[in-house]
Amino acid sequence: MSRRTAMARWLPGAASVLLVLAAWEAAVRAGAVNPALLPAPSVVLSTLGGVLRAGEVFGPLRQTLQLMAAGYAIACVLGIALGIVMGRSEAGYRLFEPLVELVRPIPKPALIPPLFLFLGIGVKTMLFIVVLAAFFPVLINTVQGVRGIDPVLLNTARTFRLGRAAVVFKVVLPAALPMIAIGMRVSLAIALTLVIVAEMLAGENGVGFLILDMQRAFRIQHMYAWLVVLAAVGVALNAAFEWVERRLLPWRGRQ
Amino acid sequence: MKRRALFKLAACGAAAASCGLARPADRTRLRVNVQTIIDCVPVVVAIKNGYFAQEGLEIDTSTSGGGAVGIPGLLGGAYDIVQSNTVSGLLAFSQGLDVQVIAPGAKMLPQAPTTEMVGRRGEAYRTAADLEGKSIGVNNRNGIVWLYARAWVKARGGDPAKVSFREVPFPQMEDAVRRRNVDAAFMVEPFKSAAVKSPELAVVGSPFGEVQPGTDAGHYLTTGKFAAQNPELLRKFTRALRRGVEWYNANLSTKEAQQIVSEFTRLPPAVLQEIVLPPMPLQVEVAQIRRTAELMRDHGMFAAVPDIDRYINKDLIAP
Amino acid sequence: MHGTTTSIGLRRLLQGMSGIALVLALLALWEASARLGWVESRNWPPFTQVLLALWDGLRSGELLRLVASTVGFMLVGYAAGSAAGIALGLLLGLSPLAQRFASPLVETLRPIPIAAVVPPLILFLGVGDALKIFTVAFSTFFPVLLNTIAGVRDGSEVLRQTARTLRLSRAATLRKIVLPGALPAIFAGLRTSLGIALVVVIVAEMVAGASGVGHFIVQSQYAMQPAPMYAAVACLSLVGYALNRLVLVLERSALPWHGAS
Repeated sequence: MSRRTAMARWLPGAASVLLVLAAWEAAVRAGAVNPALLPAPSVVLSTLGGVLRAGEVFGPLRQTLQLMAAGYAIACVLGIALGIVMGRSEAGYRLFEPLVELVRPIPKPALIPPLFLFLGIGVKTMLFIVVLAAFFPVLINTVQGVRGIDPVLLNTARTFRLGRAAVVFKVVLPAALPMIAIGMRVSLAIALTLVIVAEMLAGENGVGFLILDMQRAFRIQHMYAWLVVLAAVGVALNAAFEWVERRLLPWRGRQ
Repeated sequence: MKRRALFKLAACGAAAASCGLARPADRTRLRVNVQTIIDCVPVVVAIKNGYFAQEGLEIDTSTSGGGAVGIPGLLGGAYDIVQSNTVSGLLAFSQGLDVQVIAPGAKMLPQAPTTEMVGRRGEAYRTAADLEGKSIGVNNRNGIVWLYARAWVKARGGDPAKVSFREVPFPQMEDAVRRRNVDAAFMVEPFKSAAVKSPELAVVGSPFGEVQPGTDAGHYLTTGKFAAQNPELLRKFTRALRRGVEWYNANLSTKEAQQIVSEFTRLPPAVLQEIVLPPMPLQVEVAQIRRTAELMRDHGMFAAVPDIDRYINKDLIAP
Repeated sequence: MHGTTTSIGLRRLLQGMSGIALVLALLALWEASARLGWVESRNWPPFTQVLLALWDGLRSGELLRLVASTVGFMLVGYAAGSAAGIALGLLLGLSPLAQRFASPLVETLRPIPIAAVVPPLILFLGVGDALKIFTVAFSTFFPVLLNTIAGVRDGSEVLRQTARTLRLSRAATLRKIVLPGALPAIFAGLRTSLGIALVVVIVAEMVAGASGVGHFIVQSQYAMQPAPMYAAVACLSLVGYALNRLVLVLERSALPWHGAS
């Protein structure tokens, strides 16, 4: 790819981010915002610089990413598996649908009392929270994707007398993949968000816990610094996801 | 911003014009943020018995889950007065935020201990050797409960660095101790009294009583800016609040008071019968605030004790 | 499909009942675990107590009032967030340049959870209705946006070429080809977002609220009343289920050609 096209890809995005940051800095300097409550980007960045120089970023970041990776992986596997079952089998769908739809609306903080009771106050509870939330978009999109498969493909599979497992892996999964990919992308964001929530509700370290801790200690600049770390992680993960998607699903016709 | 400025003009005008009992239309509105805990009942009493009305004040109460929400709301202009625990207030002040104490909230009295360390019956929590290596449940790290749990370990000769403090919300503490997720937990009412009904659990220490009897646990705060612009308003507020505290302390054991507490905190009357209801303080004890600040410094919450003289509203509180 | 209409209907009914039976079986397990002492805790009342609390709450009208308040705010935020998500999604889906402008901003804001953002937001929005609505809109916006973009871009290429062959105008292409092609993905996004919206409004109420179901849940916990707390949670579950069903019905009427059911 030529340097010009590469630049054309990221320049507009970078420009808009810089524009927002400049406006924010100007607002604080002009006194439109209370700097004790919303510090200027320059202040936040210098605080962040301090944290990075002291090497304090890596521990919490690793905790958060590990938890997220574990939760996301489990959520995707469960979501796709159950999604295929529910998508292919009408009976399966109707068996699980009420349970899934009744559990989904329950907010995670409301689950803390039984979770602490059954899973204790540590990692198991946090993992459960992440999986429970990240699992649903993958599930829904898998079901949608599986149901939307062109019947011609399924008939072709039948003509070739493919076994059940072969049908799933050779026909169903690839055909539903675009839809599943959408679900997985939404779930990635949810997994990150929910890791932070889980750390705030039941954690002892990690980026989410620190954001809450700094807020409680009224160390506002540090709180925003960690929010920046969080945002950076989100951007990085999304870029990574897009890169993987481009490799694995080249037929999706990206520009 | 504009709304606040207009309100302040109105407040000053109303304060100047009022004398004696004000008619409802003339009352000045004060937005007070409280938590639905027993500590804040005197405000409710003062509203109910008309003490604020007699001072020409209309109190707009809102509730929230504590200092983490209350103080930002205060600073952002959502509230005029906020109830908060001592440690949150001091942390905010030490970070240069414009908060000050105007009235007493709650006090830890050794004769009516509401917040105690609960552990498993038969296990040892006496000496440093017993405590080190154990885990203690606190509701928030870097909060007042955590601070005094650490100070308690130290007071018993242990090294707090060798004890692990785990965050457990108050309602979940009993489960956590019974399940051995933690070895002990620093509980407040009503959870403390409920927990010790269980045969396996027992009170194993009184951190506040052992470390700092009479700790000022909470106060009512406002911003320096609001105080500078509304001194008379705040005097009225604290006067009416004081009457609320006096009534509450005098009528603690009556059915009427229990009814008010029950309605406000949603604790059923049956539960209220079983818990310790301490009297509320009439004064802010500055020496106690100073002592708490020193403990906060000793346990790494800030580098140096902030200027307590600037933290209290000297018009309303004797240093 | 084999069989008469009646037997298909009967099969569907039985299958539907199997789902409810599963839920009932789990609830029976809950009841047994509490009554038989498999799980012993003040925070784990038998399910029948929860049912009683639910009944009390409904009868006194309190639960209904709380739910109405919460759902009301949620719907306002949901509508705002979804509308913005679809509008921006259409724009970004159709214009790769616009997407390159917006993408980093969107991706930067997206992972920040509401719980982290609520206290700073309080400074600007106060602790009231505006806060609830904004947090719901903020959370609803992103899934709808992403799904809309994907739906626009993945719309059938065949249909697009058909539009070109027929020399349809831009507006006509948008209305007749792109939009319908994107609808399945948009609806998936709307369904996901609805779930998120309900959760977020509750979280906002739990962290910074003074009214609504979320606040009631926290209050019940701290007042040592687990049965009313679970009753409120059950209420939320049912409300969420009902809302989701509603979206499904709307989806089916808008996309009759899609899906097996």
